[in-house]
Amino acid sequence: MQKILIVDDEDVLRMLIEDTLEDLEDVEIHTAENGVEALTRLTSDPYDLVILDYMMPEMTGIEVLGELNEELKNKTPIMMLTAKAQEMDRNRAREAGARYFMPKPFSPMELLQIVEGILSDKQ
Amino acid sequence: MINNKLADVSIKTKYFRIIFILFLAIMLSGIGLFFYINNQQDKLKHDRGVLQHKTETINELAATLNDVFFRARGYVALKSDGELKLLNAALTGLDGILEQYSALNLSPEEAQYRDDLKLFYEQYKTKTLPEAIRLVENDDYTGIRNLSQGGSTQALNEFLAYTKEFKSSSDSKLNAMASQSIKQADTFTFIAFGLSAVLLLFFTLMIWRMLRVVLDPIVKLEEATNSLAAGEAVLLGKLHKQDEIGRLYEAFLNMARSIQDKEEELMMQNEELHAQQDELQDQQFKLERSLSEIESMMKALNQTSAVAILSNKGVFTYANDNISVYTGYKNAEIIGYTFRLFELHNISDTQLEQIIRKLSTGGVWSDESQIVAKDGSAVWLQLTVMPYLNDEGQIYQYILIANNITSMKSVQQELAETLKSTEQTTIMLELNNQLNHEITYTLDKQEFAEKFSRFMNRLYSFDSSLFLLVKDKISVVKGVPQENVERYIDANNKDMLYRMSTEKSYIVKRTGVPREQGISAKEVYCYDFYTTVVNAEDEILAIFCGTRIGHSFTEEEISEIQGMMNRVALAIERLFMYEEIENGRKLNRDIVNNVNEGIQFVNTEGVIQHINKALSQLLDYDVWAEGMLIPKEQWMDHFTLRVNESEEMGQFYQKAMSEHSVDSSTMKYSLGKEAMKHVDVYAIPVFRREARVGTLFVHRDITREYELDLMKSELVSTVSHELRTPLSSVLGFTELLLSKTMKPEKQLKYLETIHKEAKRLTELINDFLDLQRMESGTQLYNAEPVNLSETVLSVIDQYKLSGTHHILLEDEALNAEVEVDKDKIIQVLTNLLSNAIKFSPGSNEIKVTLHNERDSVMVRVQDHGLGIPKNQIGQLFQKFRRVDNSASKRIGGTGLGLAICKEIIEKQKGMIGIDSVEGEGTTVWFSLPVLHAESSRHEEEPHKWSADKEQKPNVMIVEDDYSLSLLLSEELKGKGFRVTHHYHPQKAFDQALKTPFVAIVVDLMLGEELDGWDLIRMLKNDPRTENVPIVISSALDKEDKSMMDKVQKYLTKPYPPGELSNTLQDIVQIELKTGEVLFPDSGGTEQ
Repeated sequence: MQKILIVDDEDVLRMLIEDTLEDLEDVEIHTAENGVEALTRLTSDPYDLVILDYMMPEMTGIEVLGELNEELKNKTPIMMLTAKAQEMDRNRAREAGARYFMPKPFSPMELLQIVEGILSDKQ
Repeated sequence: MINNKLADVSIKTKYFRIIFILFLAIMLSGIGLFFYINNQQDKLKHDRGVLQHKTETINELAATLNDVFFRARGYVALKSDGELKLLNAALTGLDGILEQYSALNLSPEEAQYRDDLKLFYEQYKTKTLPEAIRLVENDDYTGIRNLSQGGSTQALNEFLAYTKEFKSSSDSKLNAMASQSIKQADTFTFIAFGLSAVLLLFFTLMIWRMLRVVLDPIVKLEEATNSLAAGEAVLLGKLHKQDEIGRLYEAFLNMARSIQDKEEELMMQNEELHAQQDELQDQQFKLERSLSEIESMMKALNQTSAVAILSNKGVFTYANDNISVYTGYKNAEIIGYTFRLFELHNISDTQLEQIIRKLSTGGVWSDESQIVAKDGSAVWLQLTVMPYLNDEGQIYQYILIANNITSMKSVQQELAETLKSTEQTTIMLELNNQLNHEITYTLDKQEFAEKFSRFMNRLYSFDSSLFLLVKDKISVVKGVPQENVERYIDANNKDMLYRMSTEKSYIVKRTGVPREQGISAKEVYCYDFYTTVVNAEDEILAIFCGTRIGHSFTEEEISEIQGMMNRVALAIERLFMYEEIENGRKLNRDIVNNVNEGIQFVNTEGVIQHINKALSQLLDYDVWAEGMLIPKEQWMDHFTLRVNESEEMGQFYQKAMSEHSVDSSTMKYSLGKEAMKHVDVYAIPVFRREARVGTLFVHRDITREYELDLMKSELVSTVSHELRTPLSSVLGFTELLLSKTMKPEKQLKYLETIHKEAKRLTELINDFLDLQRMESGTQLYNAEPVNLSETVLSVIDQYKLSGTHHILLEDEALNAEVEVDKDKIIQVLTNLLSNAIKFSPGSNEIKVTLHNERDSVMVRVQDHGLGIPKNQIGQLFQKFRRVDNSASKRIGGTGLGLAICKEIIEKQKGMIGIDSVEGEGTTVWFSLPVLHAESSRHEEEPHKWSADKEQKPNVMIVEDDYSLSLLLSEELKGKGFRVTHHYHPQKAFDQALKTPFVAIVVDLMLGEELDGWDLIRMLKNDPRTENVPIVISSALDKEDKSMMDKVQKYLTKPYPPGELSNTLQDIVQIELKTGEVLFPDSGGTEQ
């Protein structure tokens, strides 16, 4: 059983991603609506994939990454989901430790494919 | 001091003192010696007495002892009682003598003997003798022998030996005493002798000293007398003594001095006599010599000058040859004639009298005089006349000396004439120079004209003149009132110029006007001289017109003046040029100083030659002033340190100023820390005829562009983010719907979400466009008079059906008339209310209040929602700023609402703000200026219950028809009530529990669940509200009679609003007076 954590402050988007990934077999989906919640979940449970929103109140996705240790970041693939689609933002996310990058708006099917790919690589 | 004092004491006194002191000394020492010797003798006598006494005592003791032993032995031997008796008597005697001995002054050795004796005596008396007596009576002679052989006798024998010894020693002592006494007497004699010798010596010494004191001055005096007698100078020092000698000395000294003085005087008189004699001789010699000198002088004089002697009557008595030579008269023709023979040309009779008077007092007269020679020619003579006085001081003759100076005089006259012409030329030259100087250095036209005019008037003696600079109409006038001339210039300018354009200069001769005529009896002619100043193009620059009364102009003057005009032409052209350049310069400076860009010109050495105002303000550098040069070292540091990028700035300057840089360069820098300024500076090398003259730096404040740029990029990124999120949902769910099969419920949910997000997207775009339009200034506002109370009520009315939140309005604004764009204000209110509803999910009440504040009406929208963190309140009016926490994020929104509100309110001269406490709620308020600020205030006064807002009676209107509600509230506010609006019975009841109302106006037809009657029932059934008066306002007739007794007033709609307010006023007044609840009986509908 593999575990995915979805971190987004928008209910609608969380629902969209959750519904997109619900058909994956042997996958457990967890959600967090802000950075703090995400950090508690990440430090208590190992995840196989983290889908992280960039723009969140109180704590941005980059700040969440900043709080995580290197070991965890190396172990866990992190996908940064953001409306900030500029090259600069992409680089910043990469430097912070995000391995994948998905600009908004995104195609759910494409997301599904990518997630499937990541999870099978992980296995 | 002491010496002086001593010296002042007279000799007599001194002797007396000395003798007295001596006598006293002898007496004292004699008496002292006598007493001392006596004392010594007495002591010796006493010692001897004592010693003799002691010797006697010891002898007696020895005799008694011997007696005792003799009697004892006698008794022992004889055993007779008589002997025993004698023995006892002797013992008693011994006892007395022993006592006597003890009382003596004893040496330690003697004291030992005394003690031994006492002991022996005691033993003998108490033991030995009774023992011996007993033995004798017992006839125990062996015992006695034994007894006598015991030690007791030993001490006795010793003592006896001692007595013998003592006797001999006391004898020798006595002898010694006698010899000591003799020796002492010798010593005394010697002392007495010594003392008298010392006294004698002292006496001699004193006398010798006295003698010396007296003798020395006497000897000196004698010497002095001798030397005085010998006629030598008496050298005597002063004797500082006041005694007889001193006085004698003084007297002698005075005498000697007076003798000497007299002698000196005599000597001096003698010498003087000698000197006088010498002088007399000398004078005689001199006289002789001067006589010969005079003779030779006379000779010389006769050679060079004419000499004549006149009698005291002025008759010639002598005349030398030269007189004849000068005058042409022969000697014989002169002698015997008076001086009047010669006519004196330049001397009048009165002058002559003065001369004669002067001469008669002994004075000498000398002057130049012209006389007529015999042949009639004029001869210039230098005459000197000297009177000769006789012994009585009366003139007896005159001596006349004359020299011919005719030729000299003519040369002199020539010289004087030359000098005069030279002087005139000099003055002319000076004036010309002055003019040149003045017209060269004067840069002001008026000043120039004045100077030139003054110069002309002075040089050519114009009585009146006018100088006019044609172009500038600057005129300088002399002798004519200025305004006359100005009038003339205005009127006849063209005519004058017309003639002048053809004729450069001309002279007009005319008869003088009365002003010029003055007091002259004859008719006077005036000469007007007109001339022009023309430039190279023959254009008239200036006109000069000068008038002279009575005399015309010479050819010379005319040509001179014309020459002058040519020079003036140059000067005026120069003035014009200067003015043009100056104007150009000023214009340039004004342009440079008024541009927004900071301009700095630096020459090739790095010296600042110009800085404009903008730059000195930008870099806060006010050191530079027009014409100042500031070297690089002085400005560079200030400039570079001022900016945040000091190092780069320094490099930029260095590079731009270096000779090699030929292209322009730019850099950007910033200033300040808080409110940062951004500046763009570019440098351009400046060349003049291919030579580099410096570098121009232009600093442009680009803060606004910079900020706008920043804002724009931020906006773009924010907008893209804000748009992408709903877009993601729309696209994502659509894709899911298309690609997945799912239950219809889920499909519906997705579709709803898509719809919602799409709506959000539209809203966002609308808001954004709205704001864009407003900010760009293209938004038009249709200002119209609006009643804000009405508007607020109408907006609240739209939310009535929303259900989730109850909106209560507390309206106490008496004047809610504002001039605004109604639609925009509705937009603001809608926005604020929906925000309040959105951000207070936990509560269900929103309170809107209206009240007047100074000249504005204030609207507050208060919720009890999430609140806003303090640090974020200030940012909320910025675009896309929403309260940054997840709770509010869930609520959603475009983040543009408040920015739009702010824009709308501020565009209509209002103010907007937020007060908020996080977790407790938020109040957004805005105020707008009222339409009729002044009049409203006056109307307000009579209806006021009290100035204090808190004490306004509070009335609640429960009415769901907002137009009626508004009507009533307007009426009630006008009467000084505070009105609270409610449309929901339950809410109204809750409110009534919280707030004390003076009355509640209830509409019976309210919502569906509860109606007015339910509310009245609730109010009346609750003890907290049962006493609140209730007025029913309804379209229905009273039907539920059961409740009517609880109602104060029943108003059937439609009724005039005044009726309601009157009723309420009655209720309130009664209540205020008595505090009781009464039922007013006004109106006909009450039960």
